[in-house]
Amino acid sequence: MSMLRGFLILVLFFLFGEALRLVFLIPVSGGVLGMILMTLTLMLRGRVSDALASSSQALISILVLLIMPGVVGVFFMASQFSGQWLAVSAALLLGTFLSVLTTLLLMKSMVRLSARSQAND
Amino acid sequence: MTELVERFVALPDIFAASPIFAIGLTLSAFFAGNWLFARMGRPVWMPPVVLSAVMLAAVIAVLSVDYVRYQEGALWITVLLGPATVALGIPLYQQIHHIRAMWIPIVVTLPLAATMAAVYAVVIAWAMGATPEVLASLAPKSVTAPIAIGITEQLGGSVPLMMGGLLITGVVATLFVDLLAKWLPVEDERILGFALGLNGHAIGTARAFEISHTAGAFASLGMGLTGVFTALILPLVFRL
Repeated sequence: MSMLRGFLILVLFFLFGEALRLVFLIPVSGGVLGMILMTLTLMLRGRVSDALASSSQALISILVLLIMPGVVGVFFMASQFSGQWLAVSAALLLGTFLSVLTTLLLMKSMVRLSARSQAND
Repeated sequence: MTELVERFVALPDIFAASPIFAIGLTLSAFFAGNWLFARMGRPVWMPPVVLSAVMLAAVIAVLSVDYVRYQEGALWITVLLGPATVALGIPLYQQIHHIRAMWIPIVVTLPLAATMAAVYAVVIAWAMGATPEVLASLAPKSVTAPIAIGITEQLGGSVPLMMGGLLITGVVATLFVDLLAKWLPVEDERILGFALGLNGHAIGTARAFEISHTAGAFASLGMGLTGVFTALILPLVFRL
C-alpha cells in the first residue's frame, strides 16, 4: 500500500511537470521538471517519507528495464543510417570518447582546484 | 492435427496484439540479460542492457513480431520512465550535502562539457560529410530521451535516427567512463557518476546506481542539468 502511495506522489509530480511544460511551452520534459520540483519540495520539507523513498528506490532499480524497449529500436532502424553510417558511427564513438574524457579531466581538475582553495581559506 | 499446428502457428500474431505479450517478452529479456551478465563474470564492456536488448531483438525478429506493434505494447513499460525520472529527485535530495560541497566544479564543468558533447559529434559528422538533417539528429545525443525528442524536432532532425544515436551514446559513454576511470585514473564516485549522467543520460545513470547511491545521485544531477542546459542552448546555437 505505502509503495503505491509513494508511486502516486511521483505520478502527480510528473503530471504537474507535464502541465507546466505544456502550458508555458518549456522545452524541457515533464519528467525532468517533475524531478526538479521534487528535489526543491523535499529541500523545503527537509525529509523524505518512507513511502516515497521505497517506491522511488523500486523504480530506479528497474531503470534499465524501462529503457529496454527503446534500446531494441537500434536493431530495427539500420536502414535510416544508410550511406552515412561511417560519419554517424565516428561521431558517436569518437565524439562520446572525447566528451567523456573532457568531462572527467575538467571535473577532476576542478575538484582538486576547489579543494586547494578551501584548504587555503 | 494440422488444425492444431495451424492454431499454434497463429499464436504469435494473436499475442502480439496484446500489451501483456510485450511486457512478458521485455521482462524475460531483462532477467535473461542479467542472468547472462552474471554468468559472464560481469564484464564491463558488455552491460546487461546490451545483452537484454540483443536477446529481445533476436526474439522479436525470430517470431516476426512487428516492431511497431511491440513498441505499442511496451508502452505500458516505457510510460513509467516519466515517474522514474521524477523518482531521481529523491536520491538527489538525499545527497544534497555532497552536491553542495561540489557546486563550483559542477557549475564550471557542466556548461563546457555539455556543449562539447554536442560539438564533438556535430563537427566530426560534418567533417565526414553528413547532411544537415543527420547533424540535427546527432546534436542532442547526450540528452535524456524525452528532452532530446523535443530538441531534434525543433532543429529539424529525424527522431528515429536521434533515438538510435542516443542509445549508442548511452552504451558507449558507460564503457568509456569505466575505461577512462582506470586509465586517468579517476576514483571519485561523484566525478564518475556526474560524467555518466552528463554523457550517457538514463543508460549512464542506471550504470551509476550500480556503482553506488552517491554516484547515482550525481548521475541524476548530471543528466538533469545537461538536459535542461542543452534544451535551452542548442536551438540558439543551431540558428547561427
